[in-house]
Amino acid sequence: MVKLTIDDQEIAVPSGTLVVDAAAKMGIEVPVYCYHQALGPLGACRMCLVQIEKMPKLQTACTTPVAEGMVVHTGGPAVEKARNGVLEFLLINHPLDCPVCDKGGECFLQDYAFRYGPSAGRFEEPKIQKLKDAPINEFVLIDQERCVLCQRCVRFMEEYVGEPQLMLEGRGVETVVTTVDHQPATSQFTGNIIDLCPVGALLSKPYLHKARPWNIERQESVCTMCPVGCTTLATGRDGRIVRIEGRPIPERSWGWLCDRGRFGYDYAIDPTRVTGSFLEGQPEAAARTTRRVGQWFTEVIAEHGPNSVAFVMGGMHTMEEARQLQRFATRAVGTSRLAISRDVPGYLPRALNGTFQDIESSDAIVLVGVDPYEAIPVVHLRLRERQKALPGMRLYGVAPRSLTRDTLPVNSLLTHVGEEAALLAAALRLAAGDHPAVRALGEAAVASHIDQEQLTGLSAALLESEQLTLLWDGQEPEVESVLVALATVRGDKPTRVLPTWGPSNWRGFELAGFPARIEALTEVLEDAKAGKIQMLVLWGCDLLREYPDQQLVRDAYAKVPFLVAEGLFPPSEAERFHAIVPQAGPGEVMGTYVNMEARLQIANPSVQPPGQARPTKTYVTAWAHALNQTFRDEEDWDPYDESGDLLPMQPLEQAIKPLTAALAVKEGQFELVTGVLVIENGIPSAILKPRKPEYPGRISVPDAEALGIADYGVVRISKNDHEIEVPVSVDPAMTPGRVYVPLGMASMPVNAVGTGWVEVIRLEEVHSA
Amino acid sequence: MLDGVKSLAKGMGTTLKALAEPRDTYPYPEKRREYSPRFRGKHMLAKDEEGHELCVGCGLCEAVCPAHAIRVVAAEAPGDEPVSWTSRYAVDYEVDLIRCIFCGMCEEACPTNAVRLTPFNELAAYSREDMIADKEELLRPAIRK
Ligand code: SF4
Ligand code: SF4
Ligand code: SF4
Ligand code: SF4
Ligand code: FES
Repeated sequence: MVKLTIDDQEIAVPSGTLVVDAAAKMGIEVPVYCYHQALGPLGACRMCLVQIEKMPKLQTACTTPVAEGMVVHTGGPAVEKARNGVLEFLLINHPLDCPVCDKGGECFLQDYAFRYGPSAGRFEEPKIQKLKDAPINEFVLIDQERCVLCQRCVRFMEEYVGEPQLMLEGRGVETVVTTVDHQPATSQFTGNIIDLCPVGALLSKPYLHKARPWNIERQESVCTMCPVGCTTLATGRDGRIVRIEGRPIPERSWGWLCDRGRFGYDYAIDPTRVTGSFLEGQPEAAARTTRRVGQWFTEVIAEHGPNSVAFVMGGMHTMEEARQLQRFATRAVGTSRLAISRDVPGYLPRALNGTFQDIESSDAIVLVGVDPYEAIPVVHLRLRERQKALPGMRLYGVAPRSLTRDTLPVNSLLTHVGEEAALLAAALRLAAGDHPAVRALGEAAVASHIDQEQLTGLSAALLESEQLTLLWDGQEPEVESVLVALATVRGDKPTRVLPTWGPSNWRGFELAGFPARIEALTEVLEDAKAGKIQMLVLWGCDLLREYPDQQLVRDAYAKVPFLVAEGLFPPSEAERFHAIVPQAGPGEVMGTYVNMEARLQIANPSVQPPGQARPTKTYVTAWAHALNQTFRDEEDWDPYDESGDLLPMQPLEQAIKPLTAALAVKEGQFELVTGVLVIENGIPSAILKPRKPEYPGRISVPDAEALGIADYGVVRISKNDHEIEVPVSVDPAMTPGRVYVPLGMASMPVNAVGTGWVEVIRLEEVHSA
Repeated sequence: MLDGVKSLAKGMGTTLKALAEPRDTYPYPEKRREYSPRFRGKHMLAKDEEGHELCVGCGLCEAVCPAHAIRVVAAEAPGDEPVSWTSRYAVDYEVDLIRCIFCGMCEEACPTNAVRLTPFNELAAYSREDMIADKEELLRPAIRK
């Protein structure tokens, strides 16, 4: 610890702390433009000048580390004069734009000029004119005249994200921020530079001129687009959410968002959204629909007993809503048939669930199946940050496709589809073959050709690291056993796993009392197929799109006399449903979401639900009434009871099951690989449309040549009489013999064919770029 | 008796004198008073010489209005055709003349001198809706008939 004095107060801070941070700790604000804790010091703007005794000149607080006995003055005539001068210079070419500038009212140039700046400038020459409202990409605009050249945006893209798509161009007063080669920035993290820019130079295009800080209301919320659950601020105006910003949490999160989460808020006003009720496919008054569904409940229960009703929870519901539905299902209806809609079969015992802080302290990280950049974007940034902080960190990937990227080099071990568990087990056998936990996994052979050295490296990362974090996409359920064995072998050394699958709040649904394992859902569907279920209630989910076996869902639907769905959007094949009622979505209800860390996060509502959309409680109260029951919500259930905002760890007691043999390799066929693409997670957005890949499927260069596809094309993928048509693009990162299709796209449902070995033929060549 | 006659004559004298004096009242509405140009009556939105609206939809008038009588919704100018003199303009601008207390703060706050209070003060209507002046109405300053 180093002791120093700032403005006559003493403070002790760890050595290496910068003066600006030490001052902030004491509540003394030193004005900054270029400095940001996540980006580190630069010393470009000179806004943070302070006086340090025994130093002849003023020093930049953002680049000066503290020293023992240092005496700092953040005020005084010399500092004030310097700040005054810096601001006068900054304003020389700054346009008089505040009335038309979206940052006006929340701008650091305004604030500092008001607090520290001169009341008038002395410069009378005409101001230099630069580009105004020029696009950085589809979402971000730049007004170069307003830029103070702090370089936060440039450094964020280059150093933090690793995608150098912004640069400074020109010299002196002509310097401007622009995109590299004047091409639109393609990164999926560009929205963050809007939050980072201290002035109104970087603007959100969808929010342009939409509101001013005094006629909006900002609510603390949580992004529900993927299981990362980034913390957000939602800006509401006139009953609509018009902007999403990142919300930093001290010591835990910088408040980064990906563009999916930041700009995808317009789903709430999407024309496809269900805002009214439907009975037998026809629009119907909400009250009448609810009453009819209530009647069905009564009739079905009277005739076939309570267990002929099943509930499937899913979508972007809060944990409280899940609890209300669970209580209605178990107490008012009395059924035990509950399930969570799952799109991958894996399950993670809470005993192994890790947090993002585990990533920050791990010396080995293994990605199992998941490509963080595509599925859980902000975690990709966290992984990068860890890799930069610990250059020797062991980062491995085990998946049927290469997980390495320019921005995050990964030692990627390529498996066949369905062999991740077997490969991990093989790595365990290599170093701990005698351990009973490893022996319990059996001796499943690995058909994938893995470099022995790579395997030894993976084995060392798994077993020798002090702290190990794994990220798992849940596609292969057997990985669970391997993870349990791994944790057992590692004993006291922390082994933490982050589950990356959806629905984003599945842990919350589980806590509310819904069984999270896919077996529960499979059982419901099998029972429905066998005619044992008379009424199937889908809460926010679309099983035809989500459940891994589409055929089973279809068969089940065909046998259920009463299909009821609640949701933001109509489920696939909505005409099959006997009743559809609208959901009040995130931003419209208050509630808790539990993210992949098993962390509870509260989201406040910003706007009213549109049309007839109502929260879950409205429906269950009405239906309970129909069943002559009173639905009471007040009870002793408090999710925060156990341990504050992080769910407590549980003892690890899952059994280790022997692995089954992988699928036999089929010559001449392709392997269908799948994974989550967060931008294609089924939630529509007009704002994001230009970013959605037109050809989301991917094939390798040699395969494309063999099939006669130049750059883009459409292929038919088929297996056992089921087929899908997939627009594919040629991806040099793809392995020959494999074809990739994103998970859960309604237009190309992978779950109709299932992963594994498939036939691929070219349908037509669309065009070549 | 004499006193009575005296005071009567004095009273009549005052009346006769006043008869010849110029009048303080007007036979409204046949004749109307000219107000000072600084009179704070109904609002108007001004345009510049080229016909561009001066209002840029900054919302400062809305923010400053103590009676919450103003509503501004801004937007980006459609296409290449600027409505105001910049790319931002007010798509919607409303003054609720029932709420307005004619304090003139909006006029004072406006950075572009777009909103101005005119001497027009004949504010009467049969419905509340008619008392909400929309943008179109404000762009054609009211003329006294
Ligand atoms: S960046 Fe700040 S100072 Fe500059 S025009 Fe915008 S609000 Fe005004
Ligand atoms: S655009 Fe904003 S963040 Fe980027 S250099 Fe200019 S002022 Fe800084
Ligand atoms: S990473 Fe996930 S939770 Fe975070 S902003 Fe993106 S979509 Fe939302
Ligand atoms: S009238 Fe003036 S103050 Fe009001 S929104 Fe328009 S420019 Fe701004
Ligand atoms: S904040 Fe210190 S120089 Fe910019």
